[in-house]
Amino acid sequence: MDLNRRDLLRLLGVTGLGAAGAGILSGCATTTAVDPVRSGEASLGLWTHDPGYASYFTQAATDAAVVGGSAWSFGVDVTSVAPADIVSRLVTQAVAQRPLPDLAGLVIDQFPRVMRAGIAENLFVDLTSLTAPLGDRLLKTQPYTVDGKVYALESDNSISVMFYRADLFDELGIPADVDTWEELLEIGAEVAADTGQAIGMVANGDNGSIVNGFTQLLLQRGGTLYDADGNLAVLSDEAVEVLELMAEGVRTGAFVALADPYGGAAAAALKGSRLVATVMPNWYEVYGLQANAPDQEGLWRARTIPRFAGGGHVASTMGGTAFAVLKDQPLTEAATDFLRRAYLSQEGQLARYFAGAYMPTLVDLYDAPEFQEITDPYLGGQRVFEVFSAAAADMPLFYQSAGASVLRDSLGGPVLRAITGQVGAEEALRAGVRTYERQVQR
Amino acid sequence: MSTLTRPSTATATRGAARAPRPGVRRQWAPYLFISPFFLLFTVFMVVPVGAGVYLSLTDWAGLGSPEYVGLANYSRLLRDASFGAALANTAFYTVFAMVVVLPLALLIALALDARGLRLRDFFRLTYFMPVVLSPIVIALIFGLIFDGEYGLLNATLEALFGVGGVSWLTDPWWARVVVVVLVLWRWTGYLTIFFLAGLQNIPRELHEAAELDGAGVVRRFFAVTVPQLRPVTAFIAVTMLVSTAQIFEEPFLLTQGGPGEATLSVSMFVYRAGFQRQELGYAAAAGVVMFVIVFVLGRLGTRAFGVGRNR
Repeated sequence: MDLNRRDLLRLLGVTGLGAAGAGILSGCATTTAVDPVRSGEASLGLWTHDPGYASYFTQAATDAAVVGGSAWSFGVDVTSVAPADIVSRLVTQAVAQRPLPDLAGLVIDQFPRVMRAGIAENLFVDLTSLTAPLGDRLLKTQPYTVDGKVYALESDNSISVMFYRADLFDELGIPADVDTWEELLEIGAEVAADTGQAIGMVANGDNGSIVNGFTQLLLQRGGTLYDADGNLAVLSDEAVEVLELMAEGVRTGAFVALADPYGGAAAAALKGSRLVATVMPNWYEVYGLQANAPDQEGLWRARTIPRFAGGGHVASTMGGTAFAVLKDQPLTEAATDFLRRAYLSQEGQLARYFAGAYMPTLVDLYDAPEFQEITDPYLGGQRVFEVFSAAAADMPLFYQSAGASVLRDSLGGPVLRAITGQVGAEEALRAGVRTYERQVQR
Repeated sequence: MSTLTRPSTATATRGAARAPRPGVRRQWAPYLFISPFFLLFTVFMVVPVGAGVYLSLTDWAGLGSPEYVGLANYSRLLRDASFGAALANTAFYTVFAMVVVLPLALLIALALDARGLRLRDFFRLTYFMPVVLSPIVIALIFGLIFDGEYGLLNATLEALFGVGGVSWLTDPWWARVVVVVLVLWRWTGYLTIFFLAGLQNIPRELHEAAELDGAGVVRRFFAVTVPQLRPVTAFIAVTMLVSTAQIFEEPFLLTQGGPGEATLSVSMFVYRAGFQRQELGYAAAAGVVMFVIVFVLGRLGTRAFGVGRNR
C-alpha cells in the first residue's frame, strides 16, 4: 500500500471527524440509573462561588438543630467555582457523564442559562413539592421557576432598602422619613447644588450593573422585565417613569453615576462622604458599605425605599443565589433532605443569618422575636428587622426568562443613553426591545 | 577494484515476493515516527474543528441532542446587528494595532538600539513588563485611571487644563479609544523586543558602508534597516494581525464589551453566545466565521509581507 503524508493526513482527518461526530452523539446519550443512598453517611458534593455558603453548609451539616432526625449523617465537600463556570461545568460534566456535585449554587443572573432546552429539567430536582406547601410564606421562588416548577431555593432574599448616613442627613437637613422619590429627588438636587453630595447612585459601567440598577427601581415602581409567563414586559409606563427619574437624578446631581457600585469609584464616593444614601440590597451593607467604609460604622442607617408618587412598593430586590439539587445522583435524596432542613426550617434560616447575614426567605420569620431582637452595630445598633420586616412584606416579584442575558445586553446601552440624557426614556426602551426581539431565540 | 552488480529485475521481484517485510517496514517506519504529531494534531485540532463545524449547523444548548438546522445559524449571523458591531470593533482594533502599535514598537526598538544608551536593560524590562502583568490587575488599574468620576486621568486633566469629566469608559467612542490604548500599552513593549532582536542582527558594516556613501539617518533607515528587518517585521505583523483579530481579554476585562456593545469583539461575541446564552450552535457558527476571517487575513498578511519567501 502506497502511503504519503497527504494520505496520512486525510486518513486522520476523516477519522477525526468521525470521532467528533461519535463523541457528540455519545455525549448526548442519556445517563444510566444509579442506586440511591437511603440513609447513613452522606458526604455531599457542593459547588459554590461564595465562601459564606461553604462555611454555612459545612456548619449546618453537623448542627443538630438543623439536621437532627435526618436519616442521613451529612458531610459537605466544597468545591469553589466561579459563578458563570458553575453552569458551564454542570453542563459539560453532564454531557461527558463525569461526576456532578449533589448541590450547586446558582447566581440569579446565571439561572436563565438553564431555563432553555430543558437543561433545568434534565439536571435538577423539581423542588416544587417542598416549596408548594409553604405557599406565599416562601419568598423569591419565581426567578428559579421553569414551566411552573421550582428548581432552586433562594439563599438570601436580597431585599433592597435605602441605606443612608444619619449624621449627614442631620447635617444637610434631609428628613429621614421622606415619603416619595419625587420629594427626595427635589431635596437631593438642592443638596447637590449646595455641596456636591448625592442621595443615590446609578451604575454606568457594564451592561449588567446598568440593567440591574434600572431593574431594582423598576420592580419597586411595580414594573417588571418579564411577566409570570416569561413574556417581555419592560416597555411600560412604569419603566418610562423610572428611567425619567434616573435621568433627572443624574442631570441635577442628586444621583452620582458610578461605573461599579462595589469598586474603587464607589469606595471613593463613600469614603469622601459624597454618597450620603443609596438604594441597595441587604448584602450591600457587608460587601459595599462595610468593605469600603469600615470607619463609618455607626453612621449608617437603613429604611424602606421612598415610594414613587405613582405607586409601587417600599422595597425591591436585586441579586441572589439559589441552591439546586442535582438529579439522578446516589445522594440526590439526601441532598434534597439537607437543603430542605437548611433552607426551609426556622432553625436553618436563623443559622443562615448568623453565618453570613443571609436574609430569611420565609416571610413570617421577619416578625419572629429571634430576628426582631437583632441589632446591627454598623447601622448604629438599629433593629434592622423592623425595616426588613416591612420591606419583606411588600417585596415585588421578580420573574426571569431564558432570554434575560440577551435583554441585559440589549437594554444596557439604551438605558445608559437615557440616564445620561442623550435620548428620551421611551425611545431608549423601544430601542432596547427592538434589539432584544431581533436577537432572542424563539 | 570491486564492481557493483545490480540484480536482475526478475530476481528482485522474486525476492520481494518471498520477503516483503523489510520493504513494508521501510515504507511504514517514517510514518510511525512522525505519527505522534499527527495523532495529537488529529485529537486536538481536527476533532475540535470538525466538532465545531458540525455544531455550527445545529441548535444546541449543551444538553440533549443537537438539532440540525443547516445554515440557519450563519443566516442569523448575517442579520445580527451585534455580530456586525463586533466585526466593526474588531476591525478597528486590528487596524489600530497594525497602523499604530507596530510602527511605534519599531521606533522604540530603534531608540533602544542607539549606541551608548544607558540603562538599556532597565528600559527593556520596563517595556516588557505589561506583558507579564496579570490582565486582571491591568484592568483594575486602567479602571481606576479612566474612571469618569474619580479617575486619575480626569483629575489630572482637570488640574492641568481645567477640563475633565470625560466619560472614558461609558461613552461608546471613548471606550473604544481606551481599549486600543490598553492594547497599545500592553503589546508595544512586547513587539519592541522582537524588533530589537532584529535590529541587533543587522551587520554594522551595512550602516557604515551606507554612511560612507553619504546616506543620512533617514536614508539609512529606509535603505538598510527596513529591508534587513523585513523577515522580523513580517513575522510580527502577521502574528499581531492574527492575535488582534481574536482580541478578547482587553475589552472583556475593561468594559465587558460595553457601553452597550460599543467595545464588543468577535471573540467576546462567541463567548457571550456560548457561555452566557447557551447558544452553542450559534457560537460555533460565529467561531467558524471568525476562523475564516482570521485565516484569510493571515494568508493575505503572509503574502503581503512575504513570509517564507526569503528562505
